[in-house]
Amino acid sequence: MPDAGLKYLIRGLGVALVGLLLPLAALAAGPSPEAIAKAKLANEQCFACHSQEGLAHPPQADLDLAKLRGLLVDKPTFEDADHGKFACTKCHNEGYDDFPHEKDAADNTSTCQDCHAKKADKIQAEFDKSVHAKHLADKFSCTTCHDLHSIKVAKNQDEARKIVAQDNRICLGCHDSDQTFARFAPEKKVRPPIDEIHDWLPNARTHWKAVRCVECHTPLGGDMLSHEILNKDRAERKCVSCHSADTSLKVRLYRHLAKQEQEKLGFMNSVVLSENYVIGATRNLALDSVMIGLVALTLLGVLVHAALRVLMHTLRRRKKDD
Amino acid sequence: MTEEHRHGERRHADRRHPEDGGRIYILPGWVRIWHWCNALLILTLIATGISLHFAGGKAPLIEFSLAVRIHNVAGLLLVVLYIFFVVANAVTGNWWQFVPRPPGILERCLKQTRFYLWGVFKGETEPYPVTREENFNTLQAITYWFMIYLVMPVLVGSGLIFMFPQFAPGEMFGLDGLLPVAVLHYASACIVLAFLIAHVYLCTFGKKISSTFKTMITGWHEH
Ligand code: HEC
Ligand code: HEC
Ligand code: HEC
Ligand code: HEC
Ligand code: HEC
Ligand code: HEC
Ligand code: HEC
Ligand code: HEM
Repeated sequence: MPDAGLKYLIRGLGVALVGLLLPLAALAAGPSPEAIAKAKLANEQCFACHSQEGLAHPPQADLDLAKLRGLLVDKPTFEDADHGKFACTKCHNEGYDDFPHEKDAADNTSTCQDCHAKKADKIQAEFDKSVHAKHLADKFSCTTCHDLHSIKVAKNQDEARKIVAQDNRICLGCHDSDQTFARFAPEKKVRPPIDEIHDWLPNARTHWKAVRCVECHTPLGGDMLSHEILNKDRAERKCVSCHSADTSLKVRLYRHLAKQEQEKLGFMNSVVLSENYVIGATRNLALDSVMIGLVALTLLGVLVHAALRVLMHTLRRRKKDD
Repeated sequence: MTEEHRHGERRHADRRHPEDGGRIYILPGWVRIWHWCNALLILTLIATGISLHFAGGKAPLIEFSLAVRIHNVAGLLLVVLYIFFVVANAVTGNWWQFVPRPPGILERCLKQTRFYLWGVFKGETEPYPVTREENFNTLQAITYWFMIYLVMPVLVGSGLIFMFPQFAPGEMFGLDGLLPVAVLHYASACIVLAFLIAHVYLCTFGKKISSTFKTMITGWHEH
């Protein structure tokens, strides 16, 4: 074949290009495919025990199954999560390779600070101003809210409902459960009943399926969601902060989704519309024009008609008088 | 000429010679009470509905959460009132008032339209005066039928689904399932508002400007 040489040349160039780009891509997107595959394989060792299957068919006889039951990690959830490409041992450093695990193994677990130094400092500063820092600073840590084996933050998700469900589960886990709340609360503090506090908000439970607690309980600003949880005096109470053309939803819950999609079918804030019809915020501008036009034309017609009637009436009367 | 047609002619002829003096009793009490309750609720719903739809702008509107509360209460009352009206209409046979009787429906509509667009300016009188059997001219009857039996059910029905969104479709064409409900509700509400404007204006076509409004209070029509 005459062009076989050319084909080889192109293929060769392609391979060279991929070879050149792969390391770059790996730099940008975290662990390389080989590293991920390796981590996945290594993790099988842990999943052998820390999974439903491990619990059903323990590889060893002398395991404390009751304890293990509370220490399971769901494999598909983990692998889909923000840290799912890591080996368990990346964070659970020493002491977990063998069983029984070493007594002080838990002390060696990496902290957020180890890998996210800059972000963690900023967040820690915000947390220090939060309602939870006042009495609970020593009981609250990043992992109180973030389960590193499942968290997938908003910017890595493409469905608002899932983001809302994930984030509200964190808050409601304590604020909708007397038991969990009491574990953290200062002595004698009674859990404020979540429905009663928000009874000024119609269909509060409907709202919590569509918006996050942090939509109202954090200050706006910055390129990242603030970790300063606001108390009742500063939490957002105005309905029109969401229910209006200039809805704050587009810079909060829908911030990351908004980048993917612009005006759709002539609706304002159409990105919100893919999952919620929000009165006041997701109006259709063309429909509005048609409807306002209909009403305005009717009004105009009536006014012109009335004016003519009065005019003709006066003319007729004048004629009769003459 | 068919028998029926002649009958129709005779009926229209009757109209021009109303049997009793200048007054006939045409509106029973329940219709008048329904009418004014309906008017009050619809005005309330329009004011609050506009405040919801255009919330947060510069226009001076009713505060959002207050508007929601009022709109929900008035909406439920209107549902009850509407059901009452439909049932009472059926039981008393009053709904026949909204059904134009053949023959010559189109012809009467055209004549009525000509009157509104031309005759009224020349000081002509209504081509089809009110009788006890037919309160409304043909054009009126058709419009009222359209509003009461087509637009209102859409408005009330979509309002109910809006109130209980669990009955709305979950999702349609990749958009929230509440969207078609909201659009129907909004569009039918705007048609009601346009109707209302024309309706109030056409009520100034009585013997005097205020005659028709009085009729809706007393039940007595004056020729
Ligand atoms: C042979 C079964 C088995 C294997 C394999 C295993 N574990 Fe465990 N692990 C357990 C059991 C049982 C517990 C319950 C506590 C205990 O007995 O130490 C546990 C506890 C833990 C804990 C909680 C420790 C604490 O103090 O709360 C962590 C974290 C953990 N394992 C991580 C791992 C990691 C990471 C791997 C893989 C490198 C792994 N385990 C492999 C059985 C196993
Ligand atoms: C990005 C870091 C990270 C990775 C990767 C990670 N973990 Fe963890 N894991 C943690 C941290 C931090 C804690 C401590 C949570 C706490 O203090 O409550 C923890 C806690 C645990 C616990 C104890 C859970 C509990 O409820 O107390 C187990 C079991 C565990 N991890 C297993 C695993 C297994 C199995 C894997 C791999 C499939 C894994 N982890 C991967 C960070 C990680
Ligand atoms: C072993 C290092 C390591 C540790 C420990 C770790 N992370 Fe991460 N984390 C990462 C890396 C790397 C990414 C980026 C993953 C990617 O882009 O695929 C990441 C991503 C995230 C994300 C996703 C959003 C973002 O900014 O990219 C969140 C949220 C997050 N980490 C929170 C935490 C928290 C909270 C802790 C402590 C409880 C923690 N991480 C501990 C390495 C770590
Ligand atoms: C009171 C609960 C709570 C605590 C405590 C908490 N977080 Fe968060 N964090 C959240 C919620 C809720 C989100 C929003 C998640 C999302 O984007 O879906 C979040 C988001 C994040 C993000 C992603 C932010 C973004 O916009 O990309 C990072 C990173 C993060 N947290 C790290 C931390 C670290 C580090 C700590 C400890 C210093 C911490 N968090 C403590 C609740 C908490
Ligand atoms: C681990 C349990 C826990 C989680 C998770 C949690 N909280 Fe709290 N929260 C508490 C406790 C306990 C208090 C009482 C603090 C006090 O009295 O000092 C509190 C207080 C508050 C308060 C102030 C009300 C009061 O009674 O003083 C607000 C507002 C609040 N939380 C909102 C949130 C939001 C929003 C989230 C989710 C991002 C969240 N909380 C997550 C346990 C939790
Ligand atoms: C629409 C905005 C909004 C949303 C969404 C919202 N809140 Fe609130 N929340 C408020 C406002 C405003 C107050 C103050 C109420 C008052 O003082 O009557 C409040 C009060 C509270 C309080 C009591 C605060 C105190 O200082 O006593 C807690 C706890 C709380 N909210 C938790 C939550 C949780 C958990 C969620 C998510 C399930 C949530 N909120 C969702 C606006 C909101
Ligand atoms: C944080 C943003 C936010 C705030 C603040 C907010 N809402 Fe909403 N609201 C929403 C969203 C999103 C929906 C759509 C919910 C759905 O479709 O499931 C909604 C839906 C509604 C609905 C329609 C429920 C239905 O489908 O019938 C009503 C009524 C409502 N909100 C009233 C209010 C009132 C009154 C306030 C102020 C007291 C308020 N909202 C504050 C976001 C908000
Ligand atoms: C003349 C009658 C009515 C008018 C003019 C009217 C108008 C409106 C308008 C303009 C909106 C805002 C919709 C949007 O922005 O998309 C609205 C919302 C709504 N309407 Fe109506 N409506 C009427 C009757 C009803 C009835 C009969 C019901 C209920 C049974 C109802 C229930 C609702 C509900 C539940 C909402 C959502 C907001 C809320 O919960 O208050 N409406 N209406």
